[in-house]
Formats: sequence, C-alpha cells, structure tokens
Amino acid sequence: MGLLGRINSKVIVIFISVLLLIYFVVFPMGVLVFDSLYQNGHINFSNYKTVYSTSVNWRALTNTIQLSLLVMVASVIVTFPLAWLVGRTDLPGKRTYRTLLVASYMIPPYVGAIAWVQLLNPSVGYMNQVLQWLFNLQQAPFDIYTFGGLAWVLTLFYSPFAFITISRAMEKMDPTLEEAARVSGASPLKTLVDVTLPLMAPSILAGGLLVFIAAGSCFGIPAIVGMPGNIEVMTTRIVTYIYMGDDNGIRDATALAASLMVLANSLLFFMTWMLGRKDFTTISGKSTRPNMVELGKWKWPAFIGVGLYSMVAVIIPLISILVTSLLKSMSRPVSLDNMSFESWIPVITSSQYMESIWNSVLYAVIAATIGTILSVFIAYLSVKTKMKGRSLPDLLTIIGGSTPSIVIALALVITFSGNFGLNLYSTMWILVVSYLVKYMTMSVRTIAASLSQVHVSLEEAALNSGASWLRTCKDIILPLIAPSVIAGWFLIFMPSFYELTMSLLLYSGDTKTIGVLLYELQTYADTQNASVLSVIILAIVLVGNLILNKLSKGNVGI
Amino acid sequence: MAQVRIEHIFKRFGGVTAVNDFDLVVEDGEFVSILGPSGCGKTTTLRMVAGFERATEGNIFIGEQCVSSSEKNTFVPPERRNIGMVFQSYAVWPHMTVLDNVGYPLKIQKVAKEERIKRVKEMLRLVHLDEYAERYPHQLSGGQQQRVALARALVARPGLLLLDEPLSNLDAKLRESMRFEILALQKELGITVVYVTHDQGEAMAMSDRVVVMSRGVVQQIGAPHEIYTNPANKMVADFIGLVNFLPGEITSDGKVHVAGTPTTFANPSDLMGKVTIAVRPENITLSVHSGIMEGVLTHRFYLGDAVDYRVQVGEEMVRVIVKGADLDTIKDGQTVYLDFEKLLIFDKD
Repeated sequence: MGLLGRINSKVIVIFISVLLLIYFVVFPMGVLVFDSLYQNGHINFSNYKTVYSTSVNWRALTNTIQLSLLVMVASVIVTFPLAWLVGRTDLPGKRTYRTLLVASYMIPPYVGAIAWVQLLNPSVGYMNQVLQWLFNLQQAPFDIYTFGGLAWVLTLFYSPFAFITISRAMEKMDPTLEEAARVSGASPLKTLVDVTLPLMAPSILAGGLLVFIAAGSCFGIPAIVGMPGNIEVMTTRIVTYIYMGDDNGIRDATALAASLMVLANSLLFFMTWMLGRKDFTTISGKSTRPNMVELGKWKWPAFIGVGLYSMVAVIIPLISILVTSLLKSMSRPVSLDNMSFESWIPVITSSQYMESIWNSVLYAVIAATIGTILSVFIAYLSVKTKMKGRSLPDLLTIIGGSTPSIVIALALVITFSGNFGLNLYSTMWILVVSYLVKYMTMSVRTIAASLSQVHVSLEEAALNSGASWLRTCKDIILPLIAPSVIAGWFLIFMPSFYELTMSLLLYSGDTKTIGVLLYELQTYADTQNASVLSVIILAIVLVGNLILNKLSKGNVGI
Repeated sequence: MAQVRIEHIFKRFGGVTAVNDFDLVVEDGEFVSILGPSGCGKTTTLRMVAGFERATEGNIFIGEQCVSSSEKNTFVPPERRNIGMVFQSYAVWPHMTVLDNVGYPLKIQKVAKEERIKRVKEMLRLVHLDEYAERYPHQLSGGQQQRVALARALVARPGLLLLDEPLSNLDAKLRESMRFEILALQKELGITVVYVTHDQGEAMAMSDRVVVMSRGVVQQIGAPHEIYTNPANKMVADFIGLVNFLPGEITSDGKVHVAGTPTTFANPSDLMGKVTIAVRPENITLSVHSGIMEGVLTHRFYLGDAVDYRVQVGEEMVRVIVKGADLDTIKDGQTVYLDFEKLLIFDKD
C-alpha cells in the first residue's frame, strides 16, 4: 500500500495540474486560433485577408514590427556597453548603477508612459520647458506623441530585459577566455571583437528578442503615447476592435491577436533553440575570478555617462510623477509653495478609488496564492521526477507567459463567456485566471531553480523514514525551498497587482482594478489624480520588491 | 628564449598583502614551479608575470625587456610580453575550431595563411592532435582541450611559457601522462617555464627548481630533492611529503629529548630549548625486538606496496610506512620499537 499510495498521490496531483493548464492555457488559445480561421462554415484565411486589407491594420502590423525592431536594436546598443561597464570594469558606484538600470523593470510600463507624457508633451512637458528655457528655443524641442517618442519610452522600459540577459551572460563567461586572447597578442579591442562579442552573440540576440517580443506585446505605452498621435500598433488595434463590441469587431480582433501570438511565440522558440546550441556554450572554469578592466582616464567620464543615463531612464520620470501628484495647481509653475498633499486627500478618501485598489490587492493575492501552490507542484514535477511528460506543465506555463497579454485576454473572453460550459465573464475569476496564465511562469522558474538545489537523497531519507510523499513535501521539501516559494508568490502578486492590459478587457463594473482606473484617469486627462495613483502603485511595488530582495538575497526581483 | 627576473615584487589588495617580497631569477630554459596551498599568492605572482595584475612594488624583466616596474611606472600589457600561457580552465575558445584556436596568435602576428596552417599542423603533431584540426572544442575531451591550449601557447614560439594549474581539472591517470608530455615538449623546445601548482608530486617530478610559497611569502627555493630532504621550516616539511612532528627539547647536554619518552638523540642542529622534531614515515624502521623508542601499535592500513602503521608513543601518534611489509606479522596492541633516521629539528613554532 505504501509505495502504491505514494505514486497515486503524485500522479493525481500532477494530473490535475496538467488538466487545469490545458483547460485554461491551451484550450482558450486553440479556440482563438480556430475562431480566427473559421469563416462561413469553413477553415480559411478570409478573415486575415479582410483584416489586413484595411490599411490601418496593415499599418499597425508594420508599425509594430518596425517599432519592435528599432527598440530591440536601440536597447542592445545602449545596454551592451552598460552591462560591460557595470559587470567587467572598475566603474565607480557600479552596484548602485546596476540596481538603477534594472529598476525600470519594476515600474509598470504605463506609469512610465504617463511620466514621459508629462516630461515631453509638446505644450507643457517639464523637460521641454526646461530645454526651451536653457537654450532659448522658440518651441518645444521634442514631441512625445510621435513614432520616435514611442520608441524612446519603449526602449527605456524594455531595455532592462536586454541588460539583465547580457550582464548575466557576461558574468557567466570565463574571463580566462579573454585573457588567453590577450597573451596570444590581441589588444583589448581585438579581444572584444574576436572573443567577447562572438561568445556573447547568442545572449545578445536573445536579450534583443526578449525586448522585441515585450515591445511588440505592450499595450500600455502605445495606448498612452502612440494613440494620441494616431500611431496604431497591433495591440491598440485589437483593443479598439474589441471595444466595438459587435461580432465583426471580435472576429477582426481574433485574426490580429492570432498573428501577434504566432509572431511572439515563434520568436521565443527560435531564441530557446539558439541558446541551447552546443557550440556556443561557454565552458566555465573553476577559477573564474572577476577580472576587472581598469578604465584609467575613462573612469570618470564613464561614471558621468552612466549616471546621466540612469537619471534620464529612471530618476527623472519618477520625480516627474511625484511632483505632479503634489502640485496644488497644474496651471501654475512648479515650485515648493505650489506643492502639498492636498490633492492626495480626494483620492485617498474616494470610495471609488479605494475599491479599485482593494480589488487589485484581492485579485493579486488570490492569483499569487493559487499560482504559488500550482507552481510548487509543476516545478517539482519537472525538476524532481522522471515521469514521462514531466516538463509539459512547465512548458505550458512558459507558453502562457510568453503570449502577449492582449491575446490571453481575448482568448479568455471568447472561451469563457459560456460557449464551453464555464461562464466567467464579468466575474473576478476571469481576471484571476488571466493573471495566472500570464505570470505563473515566473514563480515556476524561481521555485524550480531552488528545488534543483535540494538533493534527492534528502527526500529519499524522509520516504525511508516512512513518510508519505505529501508528508515529505510538507516536512522536508517545503521548509527547504520556503524563501523561493515566498519569492514566487511576490513574483505573481506584483505584476498582477498593477496589471493593465488584460484587466482592461476583462473587468466589469464591480471588478475595476487600479490599472484600469489609472488608465481611465490618464485618457480623461486627469493627470494629477493619475499621478497620485501612480505614486501609490509605485510605493506598493517598491515595498514588495524590498521584501523580495531581502528574501532572495538580491537574486530575484521584478 | 628568455631569462625571467622577478625583483622584490609585492602585491597588495587594499590592506591585504597577497605577495610579499617575491624575488626570483628563472634561468633561460629552466623549469621552475611555484608550489603552495590555495590562496598562498602563487597564481597572483604568475598573473603579475603575465601582465594581468600590476605589481604594487618591484620590477619584472622578461629577457632584456622590463615589463613591469613600480619605480619607472612601466607596465607592458600582456599582448606585448611575448609569452605563452595555459590556464586551469583551458580557456579554449568554443566558437573556433582547433585549427583556429591554435592559429590565433599567428593570425594576430599576421603570419601568411599557408605558413600559419603549416606551423599549426606542426604544433598539433607535437601534442598528438593532428587528426583533430577541424574539430570544435566541445567535441574534445578535457585532456585534448588542454593539449589545444598548450599548442596555442607554444605556436608563436614565445620566450616564456606560463602554466597556471594546467592539470588540476584532469583525472589522475591523464594528469600523470600529461606531466611527461609537457616536460618532453619543454626539453624539445628549450623554453623557459614557470609552472604554478598546489600538487607537490607534480612540482617535484617536473621542475628543475621549486619555489614553496605560503601566505604570500616565499618559504624556500631549491631543487626538488633539496626541498624534500632539507626543508627550510616546518611549513615546507609539512607541505611536501608526509611527516611526523613530535615535541622535544634540547638541553645543555646537547641531546634532543623526545617529550614524554626517555628517548634521546644526538642534536643535528644548532638550536636549543623547546623544538619540534620532524621525521618522515619512510625514515622510521619498525621492529618487535629492539629500537631506541618504545610504542604500541594501534592501527594498520594495507596500501598494497606498503603497510601504513600508527604507533602510540607517549601522547603522540607516530605514522610509520614500511615498504613491502606483510600486514599480519605484527598485531594491533603489540609493543613495537622504532628507530629514526634523517631527523629534522625546527623551532617550536
């Protein structure tokens, strides 16, 4: 009975999680693709033909690809030197810089967009005004509501993806590979070209593709920065079609969403395949000592350069939002006597605002809790067992995570509106499900990494002592991986808390979230309340990240 | 080929002195090992010769060229020192074939392609890899990768070859055979070698001279047999080979008294007072009949070619290794007698 009992509980738990994943991840996406192809009783591409023959949609597609390419190239060009300076040189203050350079990773993208609209809008942008005054210009030098402005904000907010990937690869690279080139007679520059760059190429491309996918899937930034300037991308088109509300709108949206999904997922698989190629893995020796390049006379210019970038990318936008939230009168110039917490009072006392905040916290807590429990089982299955198909659930969560939010939301709408038995429409559960589909992969990754550190003999010793498998999980495994489980919880909680794109399509009158509320305020041009709300979101995210950082000793953060 | 002169170099990292007054001349064509436990400063010393670290104080000359001098503020970067180097992690570039890896130094020197390929092939023949020119590193074993690294270090005919624990990632058998291969290559090319290792067997077997380092300080420089038979201090005696340490005292009668026993020896040194007596396990004879020191056999370990005995003498445990002994001639608990040869006397600390 003992052995049989163990296997059974394992199989049942795993079977249930696979079923849930198939039902909530694979099935809706299947329905979406099917719907996009099914027309007048036949499977055909007429839907796509109709959609893309409309010039605005075609332009949205080309805009998306051009923008994402531009943002990808710009991110790599900016982050490669930054990652090298922070990771491999004696740059002063590099620890602080590292934190700052990944910080925009934890700022919700739409908050960043709101900040840049405040800074660079052509009429009253703070930064434009400062530049006009400094250089005595007749008109504002920059207009955020342009293709360039959109690319600028996207680059600032998604380049941390490239920075993290590239600097991780740089740290993992055996420095003696470069030293071997030096003793072979190569100058530092020649070493960079012949050894460092070729060895880093897969990681650079991978980081770039991550940026490409993120920029192409993003809705918040194009909605706030692009739409006022009539620059449409795939995600904004999809939302516009869904908001039309009729069958034609939904049908057009499915075709666009399915194209976006195929684009994002095929790039991701290409990237995984490329990183897995054997001839590019760098063999790391045992004696990897950090070999810091001395910058010499470039030390302080580099310090100032990185400092300026961090100021522009992170600090100035945050200050802008904080200052705006404190202004007494938006029409008067920025000064200390024009600032107070007065404008905060209506927000904090408004039952409508508080309800949205409460909703967001509640849904994020539920999603994080369910997601963490599932993540533990999925991670266990893929790391600790030898069962057939053990990495299938893991793969399904990765697919969920890599699918653009807008696609997930649309797939859930058309699948769970009662057509297939379950009707979640207008309930909070459809929001919770969407958060789980999108963010569970983060916690699975974290927990799997820590599970793989727990040696199998520890578990075997417990089974040997007569404990059942579930008992072993509770008494041995869970206590050992507890920090990563809590980290995993926050990794679902935080992005769910400030989620915008999916919430915007899935909320109803009673389930409005903070992201949706903020988006509405911004589009109704209530900049001040939007700023107050942004500061509240940032404060909660910051606290969450501090806890996360403490728990994982700096290894995990959003 | 080149002589290497390392003149009183220091390396300080913040308040820590990693290398303290290292002074050595490696003659042209000589094979010198720097031996010591990890963290003793041996790799830092080698990296200063290579040009990856800058000496805080002192001068380094390779041949006639001053490559590093704190007074003159000279520092020649690694690529202009004309040296070959082999790293512990091999550092074979994974994105290049064996041919490209080995040919890289020649490519930098702008050697014409045909000449380059000819010289690489020659070098590969020397390291027995002629068949593998078109392979990528991941298709090679660890030992083969290390040979590629060796060929790459030698292909440009440098004056000096530096090796940083090159064999420590290989398995025991391969390590042995690579020792002889490296030595044979060195003799054939007549190149000067500085070899860093923590493996005393390696250092003893390969070197003309050995430098023993500990905590940044050179403890002794000498030929292998000199270091083994006549270690300069307790640290060297302990680090090289096996040794028993026994507390003792030299009294005014000029004899060495072994603490806790009535045994005395003639004093081979000019020390007085409390001392440490050192004797290697193979320099002790063990008998059931007679000897100058009495003890009780407590454990025996069969080593195949020898038996390793533990003998309780007073409060100390003495280790005795007898070549070709039979395990069962003496039993545990039996009283045995020891005779010491080649005694070494050191200060108490």
